[in-house]
Amino acid sequence: MPEQTSSGMQCHEFDGLLTDALDGLLSGAKLDRFQAHFRACPACGPLFAEAEAGRNWLKGLTEVEPPAGLVENILASTTGIASDRLRAPAPSTQPRVSWLEKVQAWFSGAMQPIWGTVRQPRFAMSFGMAFFSLSVALSVAGVKPSDLRQISLRPAALRHTYYSTQARVVRYYENIRFVYEVESRVRGIKRNLTPAEPAPAKPKDRKNDTSKEPEQKQERNYSQTENQLILACAPLGLSVNDLPVVSVTTYRRFV
Amino acid sequence: MEDVQVVAMLVRRCIAGDAAAWEEIVQTYNRRIYNICYRFAGSGDDAEDLTQEVFIKMYRTLPSYDHTKGAFVTWVTTITRNLLVDHFRKTKQDRMTDSIDAGTSEHEDAQPLSEQIQDHSAPPDAHVRSREVGETVHAALGKLSPELREAVILRDLQDMDYREIATVLKVPEGTVKSRINRGRAELARLLQRTYRQVM
Repeated sequence: MPEQTSSGMQCHEFDGLLTDALDGLLSGAKLDRFQAHFRACPACGPLFAEAEAGRNWLKGLTEVEPPAGLVENILASTTGIASDRLRAPAPSTQPRVSWLEKVQAWFSGAMQPIWGTVRQPRFAMSFGMAFFSLSVALSVAGVKPSDLRQISLRPAALRHTYYSTQARVVRYYENIRFVYEVESRVRGIKRNLTPAEPAPAKPKDRKNDTSKEPEQKQERNYSQTENQLILACAPLGLSVNDLPVVSVTTYRRFV
Repeated sequence: MEDVQVVAMLVRRCIAGDAAAWEEIVQTYNRRIYNICYRFAGSGDDAEDLTQEVFIKMYRTLPSYDHTKGAFVTWVTTITRNLLVDHFRKTKQDRMTDSIDAGTSEHEDAQPLSEQIQDHSAPPDAHVRSREVGETVHAALGKLSPELREAVILRDLQDMDYREIATVLKVPEGTVKSRINRGRAELARLLQRTYRQVM
């Protein structure tokens, strides 16, 4: 690349002025020198043409439309507020509401889910069954509604009921204790009057006692074979030797 | 482009928690940021994600903006450019495995650059504003190196002046001009070569 042409301009200087030339900012002697170098330099001449063509290509590109919903997504990911909410009009002035209406509105709002549950047939059926069971249990226990009506709820009456119930429970416990003591003493007297019984005899050692060897006994039972002679029903007058002998093997299992 | 005092007031309101002020900022700058992201990344989906990331980052770092140090649009563009560079580094490995002739259009069935141009029988100047040519230039833009691409995008598509671009790219003005020249020339050569293959 020639560094300097007859115009006196060097290539790096041309490169620095190229953008200004394309922007139309060069004038006078500077523009003349630039053009002279552009015509004379074999490297800078094509560079000018290419840069100009490239700029024209790029200027032909139009702006692209951002996708719909981009702003809403940005707002949602930054402030977490939807765009429509920001544009929502201010709430209009509402008519004055008394505190009683507010309480009623709050109560109806709070009771709405409970009332909705109660109105279901399944809940009504369960409630009916529970009421029926309670009525039966009270009638069996001898509790009458008329008795409940006579209960006094005055503090003095409640206190009296509490103490009387406590005294009744203590009395019941003491009576039970007295009865047990009497019974145990009678049993002791009986034992003293009865003569002493002889000591139980020592059990004989049985030959085939296998109670202490349960496993062996069981094994033997499983494998035990017993050969028995069974006499068939025969007419009288025949000796034992004349009778036919039948050998039967039985397998018995003792559980 | 922007009234410094108005924007400064808008930013102050936004920092104070005024959601309407933030929405105004988003409404004002979303188009610009989306276009920068689209031209740099090449894909509409990537551009949408990147635009959201830019605004999230902007929302977090808004208190650090100082209007005495520069225009708000320059600050916004700097954030965008930094994020794009990060995105480019992250996806560099993926792109290296791509076919060299693969198109960068957002459409999945987009044809490679040479095949797209086969459809044009008329000279390019005649259809320079058409959608097809636009996509071709967009695809060629994606072939430039990121340094040249960001320079020509900011200059020729966003009409920023050289001083602002130098601030955004953190390079001297002379370097900016050189990159713009090389970027334009490289783009022209790329398109010219492609057309010559078709002819």
